[in-house]
Amino acid sequence: MIRPILRKGAAFLWLSAVLLVAAILLLPFLPSARAQQSDRAKEIGQKLMCVCGCNQILTACNHIGCKYSHTMLQELDQLVTRNESDDLILQAFVQEYGPTVLAEPPTKGFDWAAWIVPIAVPIIALFLVWEVVRRWRHRASLAPAGGPPISPELLARAHREAEKDSDD
Amino acid sequence: MDIFGSFSLLLAFLAAVYAFVAGIIGIVTRRTSLTKSARNAGMAVFGLVTLAVASLEYFFFTDNFTMAYVAEHSNHALPLFYKFAALWSGQEGSLLFWSWLLSIYAFSALFLNRKKHPELMPYVGVTLAGVQTFFLTLNNFVATPFSVMGSAGANGVLHVARLSEGNGLNPLLQYPEMVIHPPMLYLGYTGFTIPFAFALAALLGRYPGEKWIHITRRWTMVAWCFQTVGILLGAHWAYAVLGWGGYWAWDPVENASLLPWITGTAFLHSVMMQEKRGMMKVWNVWLVFVTFMLSILGTLLTRSGVISSVHAFAQSGIGTWFVSFLAIILAVCLWAWWKNRDYLRSDNQLDSLVSRESSFLFNNLVLLAACFAVLWGTLFPVLSEWFTRSKISVGPPFFNKVNVPIALFLLLLTGVGPLLAWRKTSIDALRRNFAWPLAGGIVCGIFAFIFGFRDIYALICLILSVFVTLTILAEFYRGARVIAARDHTNLLSAVGDLTMRNTRRYGGYVIHLGMVLIFVGIAGSAFNKDVQMDMAPGQSLSIGSYTILCQNFDEVANENYQSERATLEVFRNGHSQMMLYPQRRFYLASQVTETMVAVQSSPLRDLYVVYAGRNPDTGKPVIHAYLNPLVKWIWFGGIVVVLGTGLAMMPNRRAAIVLKPVQEKAWGNAIGSPSPVVAPRSGSHD
Repeated sequence: MIRPILRKGAAFLWLSAVLLVAAILLLPFLPSARAQQSDRAKEIGQKLMCVCGCNQILTACNHIGCKYSHTMLQELDQLVTRNESDDLILQAFVQEYGPTVLAEPPTKGFDWAAWIVPIAVPIIALFLVWEVVRRWRHRASLAPAGGPPISPELLARAHREAEKDSDD
Repeated sequence: MDIFGSFSLLLAFLAAVYAFVAGIIGIVTRRTSLTKSARNAGMAVFGLVTLAVASLEYFFFTDNFTMAYVAEHSNHALPLFYKFAALWSGQEGSLLFWSWLLSIYAFSALFLNRKKHPELMPYVGVTLAGVQTFFLTLNNFVATPFSVMGSAGANGVLHVARLSEGNGLNPLLQYPEMVIHPPMLYLGYTGFTIPFAFALAALLGRYPGEKWIHITRRWTMVAWCFQTVGILLGAHWAYAVLGWGGYWAWDPVENASLLPWITGTAFLHSVMMQEKRGMMKVWNVWLVFVTFMLSILGTLLTRSGVISSVHAFAQSGIGTWFVSFLAIILAVCLWAWWKNRDYLRSDNQLDSLVSRESSFLFNNLVLLAACFAVLWGTLFPVLSEWFTRSKISVGPPFFNKVNVPIALFLLLLTGVGPLLAWRKTSIDALRRNFAWPLAGGIVCGIFAFIFGFRDIYALICLILSVFVTLTILAEFYRGARVIAARDHTNLLSAVGDLTMRNTRRYGGYVIHLGMVLIFVGIAGSAFNKDVQMDMAPGQSLSIGSYTILCQNFDEVANENYQSERATLEVFRNGHSQMMLYPQRRFYLASQVTETMVAVQSSPLRDLYVVYAGRNPDTGKPVIHAYLNPLVKWIWFGGIVVVLGTGLAMMPNRRAAIVLKPVQEKAWGNAIGSPSPVVAPRSGSHD
């Protein structure tokens, strides 16, 4: 009864040793902690904020001694290496650091307003300006000509003389 | 000396209160002697605040660490240059500095107009005194810079403590531009008080005619110019000091400085409608009011801690004061407008949608849309927290997505607007003015696309920039050609002549040209590259056509800081170009570490290298290199904008008409005296 257990233990030891050697051999080929980020990691990093309070996006935070950006960039690299989808990566960051980690307001619930209002307000303003301009133009077309008021008699005489001139 | 400073400040407060109260009584009772006395008190505020500022500067230069503010923001080893700038490095000192700049403006406005506009100036004086009273209240009772380090003893006597050394100045502020940037920005912020005072005064006093709008426009241009310089210097400081490779991060404090600048820009355009056609009077008055209120809002955001920012002062309870002040200003503006709304009735109506007037309308609409988008994005985290009880971030990607299309539309209007005629523009004129510039822009766009421009916004920006530049050049050419033909001069001197005859119009074109350069510079950011690497001596990294070879790392020190420094040799296409020395400094007094970026700048690109410290895992120094195209265009564009503003503020050259001597035969040999007569020519404003 003892032999199988030993065999299992020996197999486990062998496996561990092989993995360790493989890891040591592969170590130079693994990305270092602050090695050059991949384009995809950079792209996703642009959608995240550093949570140290610097108000910078993650890839731009370079505060010396920042307790967050280094770790966050490492996590980002790991998730990208695992080939997770963008949404999953962002979701993982939200779960760990809260919604403030996202550089843009989410497009749901009240936060939709962040996107809608800056578009809606200029459109409404444009409509109002258009309406004001339309009224101005309408008023301008209705405005009487300048100068002193003309009596109906004078106007009738002017018409008669104009007709006479045109007959001539 | 501390008593001297605080006493001067208290007297300044009393003088401002007197100017405010006596001014109102003088206006109501129509007693000229009282309004004059109020004006003199308003001017005296300048002298008294100057004494307070001089007193605080004296404490900095003499390292008087019994003063809490000096101990907090200076130390013995701080260079004199920065001891001077330490005045505005903290909440209390910067508020005193604000009051001082405001008092300079108020003194200038009151002194220059002391014999002019007797019906208008008492109202101006009262408004200015009201604003000064608010800030001097803060200086005296809320955030005094003259607090002494000490404690009350058992017998109630104050025991003054003197520290042997101060905390030192924030290292981020130990940069030459930080000595210039805050004063410029504050000159912009405080400067908007003068147009506000004139607009409110004209409305309250129902000042006849349009003279007040000319005065308001000039003062707005002064404040706008300072604000422009302040914003650009701030951007340059962020670029050169913060070390993240960019110049604008849509930080709340940066945004706060942009808001009054945008509405000020809108006013400077729409004011022409009022001057030329007597239109948009309500709009203009409100633009001036809003610009001033946004200046105060910017101060509130910077100082209250409502919104977190690296640029903000420490969180304090001062925000309540600013909110109350803003509420009072808004109430006064609404009341003044409602009471005198018939005074602002338009003289004319819009004749055509294709006209200069309508282009100004759209220009204003777009500018206000941009202003609203920035304000909305800046305040949205607070709103969201109120409504959802959960915090979110509104970062640069949001602002870029919302504002870049607006900015491009504005760039289009920059080219279109000035070429439209007042009242109505014919189709023929449109074709004549726009065909070539538009063709030029499109051709450049096609070439850029062929040569690899794939970023859609950058491509549109390039097309519009070429279009706007060509329309401006065509305007200069058309005018100069007529003058050259008439006066038989060369085209270059004709351009000078043309410009000086209508400085406002052509100065405006120069400003537009500067803005085009800034847009091109910003568009360059679409092609930024960066590489980060852990580098040991002998290793190299490549970015674009550059190779950076790490030669050495060493340490340098002086009494202010210790520094780790990288020595990097830069090669371009295999040839050695220069040495760069990015640093990481540890400031001894404040115990803070900061980076010192090394930048090699050329008109086409900046090679920007940051020594980002040592990698905690490998122990190797980390070098972050950026290749930023066209950044220099932004700074150069800023200079052009300032030159254009200076030009636009110059008076027009008057045409001199010299009469020829005429022989008068009837009087024998008498000859008419050849007296030159200078005929004033009314400046044809745009």
